Amino acid sequence: MRLQIILAGIGGQGILFSSKVFSELGLKMGLDIMGSETHGMSQRGGSVIAHLKLGKFQSPLIRNGAADILYSFEENETYNTLKFLKGGGICFVNLESVDQFNKRIMKVLKEKEIALRAFDATGAASKIGSIRSANIVLIGYSVGTGLVAIKYEDLKYVLELVSREKDLKINLKALELGFQEGKRTSKNPGKSL
Amino acid sequence: MGPGPIFFGPDKRTKMKKTGQEEIRVLLGNVAIARGIVEAGCHVVTSYPGTPSSEIVPAVVEFKKELGLNTYIEWSANEKVAYDNALAASLTGKRAAVAMKQVGLNVASDSLMSSAYTGVIGGLVIISCDDPGPHSSQTEQDSRFFAMFAKVPAFDPSTPQEAKEMIKEAFELSEMFQIPVVLRPTIRVSHAKQSVKLAPLKVLDREANFEKNPERWAATPKYRLVLHKKLNETLQKISERFEKDTKWNYEVGKSISASLGIITCSVSFANLMDILDELNLKSEINVLKIGTPYPLPQKRIADFIDRHKKVLIIEETDSVIESQIIDKSKVLGRLTGHIPLAGELSPDGIHNILAEVLRELGIANLEKITDSKLDKLIEKLNLQVRKPTLCAGCPERAAFFAIKKALPKAIYASDIGCYTLGLNLKAVDTVLDMGAGITLASGFYQAYHQDKKDIPIVATMGDSTFYHSGTASLLNAVYNNARFILVILDNEITAMTGMQPTPGLGITADGSKGKIIPLKELIKGCGVKWIKTIDPYEVKNLVKLLKEAKEYSQRKDGGIAAIIARHPCIIRFPEVCEENPVKVEITDDCNGCNYCLDFFECPALYPDEERNIVEIDRNFCVDCGVCIDACPKGAIIPMEKKNKAPL
Repeated sequence: MRLQIILAGIGGQGILFSSKVFSELGLKMGLDIMGSETHGMSQRGGSVIAHLKLGKFQSPLIRNGAADILYSFEENETYNTLKFLKGGGICFVNLESVDQFNKRIMKVLKEKEIALRAFDATGAASKIGSIRSANIVLIGYSVGTGLVAIKYEDLKYVLELVSREKDLKINLKALELGFQEGKRTSKNPGKSL
Repeated sequence: MGPGPIFFGPDKRTKMKKTGQEEIRVLLGNVAIARGIVEAGCHVVTSYPGTPSSEIVPAVVEFKKELGLNTYIEWSANEKVAYDNALAASLTGKRAAVAMKQVGLNVASDSLMSSAYTGVIGGLVIISCDDPGPHSSQTEQDSRFFAMFAKVPAFDPSTPQEAKEMIKEAFELSEMFQIPVVLRPTIRVSHAKQSVKLAPLKVLDREANFEKNPERWAATPKYRLVLHKKLNETLQKISERFEKDTKWNYEVGKSISASLGIITCSVSFANLMDILDELNLKSEINVLKIGTPYPLPQKRIADFIDRHKKVLIIEETDSVIESQIIDKSKVLGRLTGHIPLAGELSPDGIHNILAEVLRELGIANLEKITDSKLDKLIEKLNLQVRKPTLCAGCPERAAFFAIKKALPKAIYASDIGCYTLGLNLKAVDTVLDMGAGITLASGFYQAYHQDKKDIPIVATMGDSTFYHSGTASLLNAVYNNARFILVILDNEITAMTGMQPTPGLGITADGSKGKIIPLKELIKGCGVKWIKTIDPYEVKNLVKLLKEAKEYSQRKDGGIAAIIARHPCIIRFPEVCEENPVKVEITDDCNGCNYCLDFFECPALYPDEERNIVEIDRNFCVDCGVCIDACPKGAIIPMEKKNKAPL
């Protein structure tokens, strides 16, 4: 199995932590991991992008049109990173509603059979008093929709493994919240493409 | 509509992860390098932080703690200092590693060049991380050229796993031939992430034992010639070893029908292999991977070229392999215009180079990657390029705002660090290299003073940069009667590269206690007579102080005026901001003049275009209250001032 994931956002949104979650998940599945991360100056509020490739790969970078999944934690960064998605891929974006998304770009995505799922992860995370956990909320949401067949229990196990002690409780809460929201919307996927 | 579920569940291979003693961990390239250092039984590790090398030392510290090792680890004041400290350990017979970013090797180059002649005793490995792009550097220089310049061998890894293995080989080679060895990972190796197989540690019980030999360790020019000749002989022997090596230098594909050969190295090799796989081109193209670009295995290269009609050289960042090839008649590369002369070689970039060459040679018609419909649509959106910015609450923003306010017409000579981002506040005119904030300021002063013009000049420099290379610059400026205002932006940490401690903090690399070197005493020691310390959050007072500093710097009996603008980095020490929060709000007096956005540039302030006012983004705001001084209308006020209503 080979799977390519792009995680995009801006410095401070927990992109590198999310990348760690997926790579440990891959390792748990016995897969080879290869990927690439942004460190340094860009982390001061600039664009941050992580490439993650599970399975047999040599290059750490994902080519345009090759990614299976894009997690975008910020709207504009979504537009900048959509090019990575392959036809038939899925994009999960931290956005209140797909209605806010550019209509012409949505049309192109539809042609390429790329699914776009918007969820206000920041809003949800603020409800549990931790905006910084929006990344985990969005990942939990994606699992809840059933479009990405990760087991909730596996994700929970990995979070327990990689979270700092003081963040663990809130991370698990964020995961649960996102997961339930994802499950709820999948029963009524009216807003999806 | 849309695709079905993407399979992402656990599979049977989970249980196969750990077979026997083998442990696999997902490691960042730099962490894999740290692991290689530890597995090699290295005794001493020194470094000065810089992207993309900064994660190596903290990872060695982690391994030291995890495995209960006795490794001596230091964050040195600069790269040359780091180099010499590592070299001395090697002269006592111990293994030592020194890590830095590629421009750090410029600083350490004096020591590198000389120690290539004298050689080493215990293995000495220099890790110099290159930054093609550049992503976070002032140049794209290729450290392999430095290895060639100094006449020391270089290893060029293509993945984190290979970097870890190469480190160990580099130590062996260094000891076998008593020569420093360079490992050159590029940013795509240092910041790549891979599941890496760990190996047991080598245990080397070595006691420091420096054997005196002044003819070698204190060689005069006469003996230097002897050492140079010996170095050439050593290189010859290493070259013969690299000719026979098949671990780092090997061919992929032995297709006799292939008319194109590609010689490649570093991450370009990894990128190329995935592309050839994807495009099913393995029968048309043979690949020679080179892991030892210097000294180059010339016979292997000549033999490979001999067996192909044409040979393309794909290497980052410069033409180190290509320029060493003796017979270039069949070679395509940078020198023939087939590879870009600047920038990173992305996978798509390599794809297009390949398409061009295959078309030119009539081998295949490979479509080039061009902008798709989606790219064009997105380009039309004119998305704002999100440039890096100083964090909300950053004390450096407060200092820059005050500098602009007090001395709007000054020349602003700045330096390398977070505060380079003072560019956004238009309070930075020059950024050259580490330490140049002060040297350029004194140079500007002398150039104008020569014409009998004394214009205000402000040098800004971070605390870590000042410890790195500020003192020689400053005492030189004092000695030669230069006059300017020096503002040390003292946030008590090396923030940009990931919060490494400075000599001002008194904490060493592994968290143990070190001696504190107070900035004020250091500046005083350089001969500066006028030194004031202030918290830049007190913007009004800082403006006043800057005006006094200007007056002193222009007074007859005056000189260089130094201000230490001290406030802890709010990312490293968030508790400082939480101690005294100043919650602010924007009143109806805001008329949307955008002065605060243009000249204060805090990420927590944003324009509400519909209402034509500025708003506060509470997600970013850290309640520092500094923006109160940034509004010319007085429309930003502390909340409690207005709302004294009982709760």
